[in-house]
Parts: sequence; structure tokens; C-alpha cells
Amino acid sequence: MKKQRTFSHGLILGAFCLGFGIVLAYSDHITVDDIKAAALQDRLNSLGQVIPASIHDNNLVDDAMVMNNQGDQEITVYRATKDGKVTGLAYEIFGVGYAGKIKLMLGIDTEGKVLGVRVLAHKETPGLGDKMEVKKTDWILKFDGLSLGNPPVEKWKVKKDGGQFDYWAGATITPRGIVNAIRNGLELFAANKEKMMDMNAPKAEPNKGGH
Amino acid sequence: MAQYKTIVKDGLWENNGVFAMLLGLCPAMAMTGTATNALGMGLATAAVMAASSMLVGMFRNQITQEVRIPVFILVVASMVTLVDLFMNAWMHELYKVLGMFIPLIVSNCLPLARLEAFAGKNSTLPSLMDGLFMGLGFTIALTMIGAVREIVGTGTLFADASLLFGPAFKVMETRLLPEDTGILMMILPPGGFLVLGLLVVGKRILDVRAGKAIQMGGAHSAA
Amino acid sequence: MSITIANKSAPFAHGVSSVRKTMFLVLLALTPATLFNLYLFGWPAIMLFTVTVAACLIVEAGCLSLAGKPVMATLADCSALLTGWLLAMSLPPWAPWWLGVIGAVFAIAMAKHSFGGLGQNVFNPAMVGRTVLLISFPVAMTTWIVPYPLFSAGAPGFIDALAITFGGQMPDAVSSASALGHIKTELSRHIPVIQSMADVPGLTDMLLGYRAGSMGETSAILILAGGLFLMYKRIISWHIPLSVMGGLFVMASIFHLVDPAKFASGTFHLVSGATFLGAFFIATDYVTSPVTRTGQLIFGVGCGVLIWLIRTFAGYPEGVAFAVLLMNALTPIIDQYTRPRAFGRNRKGEPLPLEKRP
Repeated sequence: MKKQRTFSHGLILGAFCLGFGIVLAYSDHITVDDIKAAALQDRLNSLGQVIPASIHDNNLVDDAMVMNNQGDQEITVYRATKDGKVTGLAYEIFGVGYAGKIKLMLGIDTEGKVLGVRVLAHKETPGLGDKMEVKKTDWILKFDGLSLGNPPVEKWKVKKDGGQFDYWAGATITPRGIVNAIRNGLELFAANKEKMMDMNAPKAEPNKGGH
Repeated sequence: MAQYKTIVKDGLWENNGVFAMLLGLCPAMAMTGTATNALGMGLATAAVMAASSMLVGMFRNQITQEVRIPVFILVVASMVTLVDLFMNAWMHELYKVLGMFIPLIVSNCLPLARLEAFAGKNSTLPSLMDGLFMGLGFTIALTMIGAVREIVGTGTLFADASLLFGPAFKVMETRLLPEDTGILMMILPPGGFLVLGLLVVGKRILDVRAGKAIQMGGAHSAA
Repeated sequence: MSITIANKSAPFAHGVSSVRKTMFLVLLALTPATLFNLYLFGWPAIMLFTVTVAACLIVEAGCLSLAGKPVMATLADCSALLTGWLLAMSLPPWAPWWLGVIGAVFAIAMAKHSFGGLGQNVFNPAMVGRTVLLISFPVAMTTWIVPYPLFSAGAPGFIDALAITFGGQMPDAVSSASALGHIKTELSRHIPVIQSMADVPGLTDMLLGYRAGSMGETSAILILAGGLFLMYKRIISWHIPLSVMGGLFVMASIFHLVDPAKFASGTFHLVSGATFLGAFFIATDYVTSPVTRTGQLIFGVGCGVLIWLIRTFAGYPEGVAFAVLLMNALTPIIDQYTRPRAFGRNRKGEPLPLEKRP
């Protein structure tokens, strides 16, 4: 008798597992495409902020490649093309902030001039270190149009370190991290220009890559 | 009808999951930096609670005493996964903020506590009501904590609500204090504990004024 | 705890010490350093000091009357006065008035009265107030100024001071980094300590207090004198101050020997920041420190090591407040494990076996 009861408990649990398993499988089936689309849209949105729509006619995510940056980190480089010619690049750069890594997206044109920089993710103190978010202040917009020669490399620093970039009250470490990250990002391009603009390089899968 | 009235009253205020039972403290601390996040997290939890309470109420005669806990966990976990998938697919902006915390609803002991204490012993409709209103009570509590922390911490209320719930909610976004005047600590972790403590005191004071005996239901099982 | 007391017997005389007298002596010990600092930082410091102390007294009175306790009698024990005093000394001297008021609310209402008032609080109220302010208003709390003694050239007059303290008009030119902060920022730019040490005031200046910092951080020598006075009066024993300073000094010295480019020397750590104030006046708070001598030594060494750790590795340049609060949290456990043996019983509380004397 006792054995039978144990068996029925197992049966009940199994039945519930089966039932919910089916429900979950079906839900996954009906949402999987929308989730993929949303993730893609996310990436396109963050790319759209650093690469103006007017300079390209391709899908940025399609023409991406994977390479290693100075820190031997694998990054995805998105290429903007117009009529088959590369007009701009966008890739992730990393800065060290007060509370860990700051992830940014850097967009540049083929001359190495900054088209736009946006912060993707950070852990800085809210209200103090988050003034680099474009919805808080327009500090990060000041980088638009600058390049490695303008200002000269030794001025690519925050004012406190003898450079030309302002920082906001109470935080030096965050802006310093960002300025350094952008400078490194530009240097990465300067050193690997050929490779990054080579459209014949193996393409990255659209749904892979760091985000 | 009287039964439903008690369920509603208990869930929303009298026996509120956070303020009276002190359950579900993990999201009540982690997700209440702004009122908007708190509201979103509360609503997601309420959806999970309503659905899982209803299901358990429906199948209460099939769920034997011996396997009830695994089944409850299975139900809650499945509902959380569903909410996670649906939100990711169809409410993506909200998901980007709450996404990390949705799986945490599984570890929130409030849903499990209600299944054990109520849904396992009552029929479908009362269970649904209990889950829903306990969840809404949780939402109210979280939103109150979030509102206090946000006002004192950053001087805003429901900042970014339009980002989460759609442009129609732009009207909810208000700034009560000038920029950069908040007490920053309030939106950092210590602020969560302080505000929760003060709000619990506030509820106790109201209860004492109303002549009710203070009861500490379930306070020993922390979330 | 020696048990030599056993050879005395009743009647005992009434001890003259009381909360009020203790607090009064502590205040007295703090007075020279305070007066010197008020002179050093001029009118704005005097105003901030007054506002902070007054706010503490008002909040204390409010809390007492809310709790239905006697207001005037308890106020007269001077404990709120001391909390306000210490809080004011831990603020940047030219900070705006509301900083003092918010600090007072958190120190007295949150840290003291929500636990049940004097003697019930787990954490040192003044340090809770300071910590809340530091993490809430990091900019205002780290805007140090170089000393502008009263009546000296360039010192703000009474009216200018009103604008600084109540109008929030901080003149830009006068701000300066504290020595600890300076070394920290320079290290973050990969400039070794040896090099950045050249820019901080010399040891004598640091000791005398002619440097940027909060009111309690400067004039180490007067704080030290006050502390020694308290020891002489037997308000505090040597255990906590010495172990705090010892823990800090030993840690700093060891690491300084290993890598002088990265770690400042023990002596520098001792005279900079709020080490003396913390060791003599804050860590020694009766309510929040252990009861037994062994416990006090553990507590003090813990504070000292934590101060060094926080100063060296954490985000903030000064760590006295955090260190003391962390050790406050450990005080009940320390007390638990250092409970003295009751006379005639062993450590487990069982009676000692009777032994036949030869």
C-alpha cells in the first residue's frame, strides 16, 4: 500500500512537471522571435546614437566583424557602409570608473574622428558619477568631432591631469576613465585601421557579440 | 462576499506582505531606488502571485500533502519564467530595467508563503483574489518605499515612468526638489533599510491608533 | 579585571562620577582643540559649529518629548551636546549649515533615539551622522579649505561668513585637498607616495594643525593633549587609544617598509586625518565599545587595522568613521567572548573545585 502511495506522489509531481514543461515550451516558441527582434533593436538603437543614419545605407549589425582590442578582449566592430564603401565604425570601449568597468559605444568616421560616444552600462554612484549619461547632462557630447590629433594626444586627459577635458564636481575618476577609454579606442583604430575597415574579413554572426 | 472583503483588506493593508509580515525583503530593498522600478517589480510579482495562487487553488485536491512544496516551487518558477519571457518579448523597455530581478521573484518567499498559507486550502476564486491582492499590497508597499527613497534621495518622483510604461505616463514624472539636492544615501542600500523601518513604524502607529493589537505574522521567516 | 578588590568590604563611598560629569570632562578636554580650530577657520566654522550643536540639542529635545522622557533633565547630561560637538568637528569647517542639521537628525534621531536613547545605541551617533553625510553629499563633505585664521588677511568677515555658511556661496579659490585625499588622488594617477608627500604639509605643520581638513582633523597635538588629560582623569583608559594607534601604525609601517612608493608611512597615518580624535574621543565612547580590557584591546586593534585598510584600499580617503562603526557592530560579540571570569567560578560559570591548601 505504502509503495503505491509513493508511486502516486511521483506521478502527481511528474504530471505537473510535464504540464508546465509543455506550457513553457509553447511560450518560448511564441516569444522567441520577438525577443530576438527586441535584442537586435536594442543593439541598433545604441549603434544609431553613435553612427548617424545619414552616412550609411546598410544594416550595421549585418556588417560586423570580431577582433581583439588592446586588452585582448574580443570586441565586435560594426561597420557603416554607403554604396559599398565604409563610412564609419562603431565598437565597444571600456573605461575603469569609480565602481568598476564602464562600457561605452564609440562611433568614428574613417578619418578617426569621433561621431559619437554613449555609455552602455556602468555602476557609478547615482547622482554623482552618472553625469556621463546623455539623459543627465550633455557632457559626453563634447567628444563629438574630436580625434587623436585634435586635441593633441598629451591633452587627451581630464583637466586635473593636465589635459583639456572638464569633469564635474565631486568626480574625477569617472571622467578620467572615460577620457582614457576614448583615447584608447581611437588608438586602437589608428593601429588597426586596415583590418577594421576590411569588408572581406569574416563577418560576425548578427546575434553574437558583446552587448 | 464578506470573505472577499477580508481578502482584499488583508492583502492591501492589514496583513500586508512587506509592512506586516516582513516577507519579500530582497526585492523590497533591491528594487526600490525609484518609485517606477518599485511599481514595475511589484506588478510583475503581483502577476506571478495571482497566476500561481489561482493554479494551486484549482489543483489543490490533486496536490498531496507530501509533494506540495516541490509543486508550489514548480508553479512559482514556471510563472516567473512566463513573465520573464512575455516581458522580454512585449515589454522590452521595462524588461531592460527589471530583467535582472524578475528571476528573483522565485526566491521571494511571499508567493510561496501565500500558496502554503492560503491557496493550498481554498478554492480557485478566493485563491486568485488572495494572490492578486497580496501581490497588489506588495506593489503598494514597494511603491511607497520607492517613492520615499526617490523623493528624498534624488528629488524626483516616478522618473522615467514613460520609458517603462509608455509615453502616456509622462505626466507621472515629477521633480519635487531641484537637481542635485537629494540625500544620496537614500537611494543607496542603507536607505532601503531605513525607509522600510520607518514605514513599518508608521503602519504600527496607525494600527495602534486604530486600537488593533500588533501581530507579527511570519516575521521569523525572512526572505 | 583583577580580583584584588575582594579585600575591601562595605560600606562603600559614593562614586562621584556621573554621566554628566564624564561628559563635562570630555567636553573640557575637547575645548582647547576646538577653540584653536574655530580660530583657524574663522567665522564660517563658528557658525557651522553653533548650528550643528544647536540642531543636536533641538533634535534630542524633540525625541525625548516624543518618547515621553524628561526633557530638561536628560538634556543636562550633556551627551547630545557632546555628540553635536564631535559631529561638528568631523565636518569640513566651511560646510553649509544644512549639512550640520541633517547630520544632527541622523546622529540623534536615527542612531541614538531609535535604539532607545543614551546607553542603548549600537553605533556611535556622531560617526553615524558623519557617515550618512559623507555618502550622501560627497562633494560638500570633501571640500576642504586651507586655514584662514580669524582676523587674518583674506579671512572672511562676519557677513562673508554668513554667505558661506547660510548662502552656500563657497569661494572657489580657497578649497584644498586634505593630505590623505591628496595622496589618494595622486596614487590613482600613478604618482608614487614619495613624490606626492612633497606637496603635503610637513609633519610639524600636520601636528600643529596648520593644514586643510575637518575641524577635528587639524591640531593633532591639542587633541592628543585633551586625550592625555582624559586618561589622567581616568575617564578613559589607555587600552583603546593605544591599540587603535598601534594597529594603524604597525600595519602602515609594515607595508611602508615593503613598498614605500605605494604606502604612506606609519607616522604620516598617525598624524593625518582624524586618527587622534578617533582614538581618544570617538572609539572610547562608553556605550559603543567593549567593557573589558581585553575586549577594548581587540576593539582598538580592529579599528586601527580597518582605518588603515579603508584609507589605503577603499574609495574614501579617510576611514576613521567607517572603521569605528564597523567595530561598534562587533562590540556585542567581543563582549560575549571576553566576558571576565566571575570570582570563584571558572570560565564556563561552574564553581571552582575546592582545593585543600597544604
